[in-house]
Amino acid sequence: MKRQVPNILGVVIVIFFAVFPFVYSAADYDYIMHICITAFFYAILASSWSMLSGYAGQFSFGHMGFMGVGAYTTALFCHYLYLSPEPTKLCTEFQVGNSYLVIVNPIGVTSTTLTQDCLRQALGAWNGSVEVTPMPVLLGIVLGTIMGGIFGLLIGLLVLRLRAAYLALFTLGFAEILRATISAEIEITRGQAGIELPHLFENGLTVFGHTFSKTDKVPTYFAMFFLLLACLAILFWLSRSKFGLFVRALREDQDAAAALGVNTTRCKVLVFVVTTMMAAAAGAVQAHYIGIITPNNLFLLQMSLVVAMAVIGGIENFAAAAIGAIVIEFVLEMLRSSFEIGSVTVDMSIWRLVFFGILLMLTLRFSRNGLIAPVILYFTRGHVGKETVSKRVAAMDEAGAAQ
Amino acid sequence: MINLTVRGVHKHFGGLHVLKGVTFDIKGPELIGLIGPNGAGKTTLTNILDGAIKPNQGTVYLDGERIDQLQPYEVALAGLGRTFQVTRSFRRITVLENLYVPALAMGRPESRKAIHEKAMSVLEFLTMDHLRNEFAQALSGGQQKLLELGRLLMLDPNIIILDEPFAGVHPKLMEIIHDYIERVNDEGKAIIIISHQMDSIFSLSRRLLVLNYGDLIADGPPDEVKRDPTVIEAYLGAEEDDRGGAQAKGTRDS
Repeated sequence: MKRQVPNILGVVIVIFFAVFPFVYSAADYDYIMHICITAFFYAILASSWSMLSGYAGQFSFGHMGFMGVGAYTTALFCHYLYLSPEPTKLCTEFQVGNSYLVIVNPIGVTSTTLTQDCLRQALGAWNGSVEVTPMPVLLGIVLGTIMGGIFGLLIGLLVLRLRAAYLALFTLGFAEILRATISAEIEITRGQAGIELPHLFENGLTVFGHTFSKTDKVPTYFAMFFLLLACLAILFWLSRSKFGLFVRALREDQDAAAALGVNTTRCKVLVFVVTTMMAAAAGAVQAHYIGIITPNNLFLLQMSLVVAMAVIGGIENFAAAAIGAIVIEFVLEMLRSSFEIGSVTVDMSIWRLVFFGILLMLTLRFSRNGLIAPVILYFTRGHVGKETVSKRVAAMDEAGAAQ
Repeated sequence: MINLTVRGVHKHFGGLHVLKGVTFDIKGPELIGLIGPNGAGKTTLTNILDGAIKPNQGTVYLDGERIDQLQPYEVALAGLGRTFQVTRSFRRITVLENLYVPALAMGRPESRKAIHEKAMSVLEFLTMDHLRNEFAQALSGGQQKLLELGRLLMLDPNIIILDEPFAGVHPKLMEIIHDYIERVNDEGKAIIIISHQMDSIFSLSRRLLVLNYGDLIADGPPDEVKRDPTVIEAYLGAEEDDRGGAQAKGTRDS
């Protein structure tokens, strides 16, 4: 029964978040919903990073870069591609069945946008007689996820021979190059101005007769929540599979694993692909939720936040990393309120990150496997020591009786 | 029928020639001791046989298949397993899971239950069944060596290379390792033991290979090799009861 406690608690947490939007009704409803969506987003990143770094031992600092790949892929896809029943004769376009796939020309962030955008010029000329269709957001998210996997595959292949600090530095370099490239390619990516994206449910959503507007947070809440559950289910399945065992062996000793028949190359690349696809999917959904993606989202600071969440939760347990991310996101938000000690006002909007840093340092010093993973281990493995001793004593008694 | 053919294997690291055209064969379930002074090239030869490093020249065939250009996991799947000089257990994985790794990697059509039962019988043989759910990091150094041997039983290769299996092991555990080697050899596996424990090497081996700075200077039955002046000069030195042999004594003293 004791061993089932983490599973039972897990189900309780899932049920809690599944009903939460329907039972919570305070004035700050939208704000709390926003924190939940952001917490789920970070939970996907932290848990997938935990599989990559905690389980497989591949300390990558490029996870936010892969998140950015997903976000920018769907952003560019939705920003530049349209379907039109008529040829614009201004844009690059290809006939697809009865329609035309229109590729809008990149215009950067110039002030003469309207005159340079070929599609807008065509729409102006048509004067409302022709209606173009934007690309489906879901397709953009799928493409973003696939693109994240492709980048993960390439980086996975490039870092095959790199370990520890070299791997960390390489992936850090990748993320920074990606950020710098996006910032520099103003013509296509709009640089620091960022690309605007259509909302996740641009035309609203009707479920069981109830219609949600596009600004309603509940559909996005459940989209991110279900994405988190799907990622956790995949991570759970992987961790219990022989692949999960192989990547943990890879973490412990790559040469020994290979000498025992484990295809370490395949495991390494596969774990990169799976986890980067999760990061890319989370990035794509989050970008559509926020409505804009800028290179600042790929900053090293963001990566540090994901690492800290996973470390404080428990890097070697993806569920602990996910819970850690959710708890920390809430704590960081709660710590925004300032308070007074006597005549001194503590501005928590600044100091909260200091407290957060201290918590991270204390965790690393006193609880290397985080604050939540040891609790899970207590329930799942707390009996092992006693069992070992009792078996040893029984064996010794048996040997004594035989003599 | 086990057939390992090593032909003219040469390996150099920069200007340092570690192996200089090593050639030998293993046919059938032989029990071979590989000895030589430190820096003789024993571990390099093991790494080449195991696929961890590639030779500059020469070939290695296992049962007719060329293996010197294969990856280590492919060599393992082809039927050659090894342990390491410094024990390499998967420390933060349980003892049972350590044993599951090679069995699952082999991809044999065995059920999880069959693999578990086999792992349990291996642990019983190694007198470690009470430790099955412990993380390997909780084991003593000797027990970790036993665990490495257990993993090889799960891998079930035809040729096993044991690199220093007796180093730093308690006499009681050494008995278990001796039993292990004899049992596995009786089951039809060829075993190469690399060790500086001469008593164990001479009592177990039926053939000795002696490497000296990259050259294979002797290959034959232990009694013959023991008396080989080249081997005495290069590695063994004079026996305590053979102090009259000026050449050998001189070697030891030098």
